Amino acid sequence: MQSPDLSTRLKGRPAFPFETIAVAISFSPRLEALLAEAKRISDTLHGSLLLIHVGEKTKEKETRLEKLMLKLGMDERNYRINWMDGNPVDTILKLCKLNVVDLLILGALRKENLLKYYVGSVARKISRKAKCSVLLLTNLEQNPGKIKRFVVNVEDSPKSPHTINTALYLAKNFNVGEITMVKETHIPGLAMTMAEDSTAPEANKMKRGFAEEEEHELTSMLDKCDKDDIKINERFIKGKPGFAIRNFAQSKKADLLIINSPDKQMRLLDRIFTHDLEYILEDLPCNVLIVHSRL
Amino acid sequence: MKFSHNDLLTLLSSVAIMLIVSRLLAEMGRKIKLPVVMGELLCGILLGPTIFGSFCPDLFTHLFPKTGGAQIALDGLTQLSVIMLLFVAGMEVQLSIVLKQGRAAMYTSFTSMVIPFVLGFGIVWFFPGVFKFEAHNKLVYALFFGIAMSISALPVISRILMDLNIFKTEVGMMVMAAAIFVDLTGWLLFSLVLSMMGQTAGITNIWQTLGMILGFGLFMLVIGKKIIDRALPWIQTKLSWPGGVLSICLGFCFLGATFTEYIGLHAILGAFIMGIAFGDSVHLHEKAREIIHQFVMNVFAPLFFVSLGLKVNFIQNFDPLLVLIVLFLAVFCKLLGASLGAYMGGFSRRKSIAVGFGLNARGAMEIILGTLALNAGLIDEKMFVALVVMALVTSIMSGPLMMYFLGSSERKDKKLKPS
Repeated sequence: MQSPDLSTRLKGRPAFPFETIAVAISFSPRLEALLAEAKRISDTLHGSLLLIHVGEKTKEKETRLEKLMLKLGMDERNYRINWMDGNPVDTILKLCKLNVVDLLILGALRKENLLKYYVGSVARKISRKAKCSVLLLTNLEQNPGKIKRFVVNVEDSPKSPHTINTALYLAKNFNVGEITMVKETHIPGLAMTMAEDSTAPEANKMKRGFAEEEEHELTSMLDKCDKDDIKINERFIKGKPGFAIRNFAQSKKADLLIINSPDKQMRLLDRIFTHDLEYILEDLPCNVLIVHSRL
Repeated sequence: MKFSHNDLLTLLSSVAIMLIVSRLLAEMGRKIKLPVVMGELLCGILLGPTIFGSFCPDLFTHLFPKTGGAQIALDGLTQLSVIMLLFVAGMEVQLSIVLKQGRAAMYTSFTSMVIPFVLGFGIVWFFPGVFKFEAHNKLVYALFFGIAMSISALPVISRILMDLNIFKTEVGMMVMAAAIFVDLTGWLLFSLVLSMMGQTAGITNIWQTLGMILGFGLFMLVIGKKIIDRALPWIQTKLSWPGGVLSICLGFCFLGATFTEYIGLHAILGAFIMGIAFGDSVHLHEKAREIIHQFVMNVFAPLFFVSLGLKVNFIQNFDPLLVLIVLFLAVFCKLLGASLGAYMGGFSRRKSIAVGFGLNARGAMEIILGTLALNAGLIDEKMFVALVVMALVTSIMSGPLMMYFLGSSERKDKKLKPS
């Protein structure tokens, strides 16, 4: 059972700063790039780095990891490593909880094959269940440093101010001067409602009313945030939540898409009748940060 | 039989009169915030045997003959209309909205469907004397009445929520989610009931029918939807706009209807499921959706609703006691079911009652349901009239009562309220 002390530490803990940063590693060809990116992030945010590997601990793996970390300029004083056995998803989630991890970094494929998507890969399963923020890195590069274009999805949710503030915190630390805040507009049933008994001016007025409402909500949310010198671009896009922002991030060639954590646990049914986060996980448009507000 | 010159003249003039008069009455009703369907029904009552037929029987028979080519053609048109109406109703069924709302929506959806259904079914089963039906049809009639008590009307509900400016509130989204669920399950169940009527040949086993309904639904909503998702971007960019998408959507609507009718289910099921598959696609442009809705709701829906008044004498078949019973049961069952679910899902008592009244609006969907049952010979004209009155009264009372129970503090900033 979770200790009361741990529960108190997690509940209500702010979404940022990212003091403890964990990275889940598998010994794949992308390991070096993943570690390099994790190091860069933890250095920039002054967080402590925790490596997690779920799988057999062998001499060969240890040596390879040690060499890689040395190459990146890190020795054992700069990071901790946890070697664990068991189910990768459950073990990683449990370790994140025990270590009060603020940000979990995972390497992820942009798109999974159909079967794997429905069954669920480790990275995607963790994204759906994690109780901390999760960064899915798709564009792993040997020479990192190109996360410059931030797109933030602002939803009608109490979580959104935390997500916006986390985006601003990251932007300040990574010297990003400009962020695009996007609000999706989706009014199911609008076409049906307008079809029968609205004159053209009435229909336009109603649409304009909804648009003004969206603008008002976004502006009032942004007014409460500490923006400093960061330039904020506001965008309003139409379309289904999740799908519209995915396309927007793709078309704008964003480096990082920042979104809220899901409000409920996403299950197989949510993948079959895809909505919200699942549209993004189905085809990651770029690196994705899922901010957990711990509300 | 040959479709004569006179038949064509009769058909064209009757369709023209139906469209023009219904539009005029609907516009007059709109001024005092009455649903459009009320104007259309009133048009049918004025033009039908209730009024026009009583005063000018010869002219009435000449314009709306009971036999012959013109009558067959008009019947065909109304059949097409109801199929298209179910297609556009399906287009607004977005299951993701139900899934997104989580636990509270699940409770509300479930209880607002199940409790009215069980109560409606039970009343027919245990008090059959209140209703008129053939003894061998007891089960089917009870099932139908259960569905009639549980169904909601998504179009009316979304209009009410937008007018009250509560569409995007938690109450608004809850009512929408539950209405979507009720619509989906209600029409699937009704297809089963129609198949049980044995009006279509080929299927005798209820489990086989149920399996086919679920099989077709699942296939279209899981695999068919993926295919549509891939095809729509091509259709909308490579074919002429908006003609291409309009004809493909309606073409597939009729194809779906043909398929379900052919395998022994009712044509409406195919159209409804096809509507969900197209409407739920992320690639369907909002403009295309609007055009399809406009086309169906303003050309075919009036023909359908006016035609009801042409068939039934609303004065002769108005049974005040039956109307009161049906109205009371409908309001009581729905209010109990939906409010209980919302309350269990964590809503306050007043908000739960508001959810109940929101879902109580039956509108055009109830009338379509009643018409199909009447055409299938399941209900008589008196019950049909009672259902129509209930549908209209519940639609009119829904908005003001929701507003009363929500109170002004629950609604959003009035400055931004759309007209």
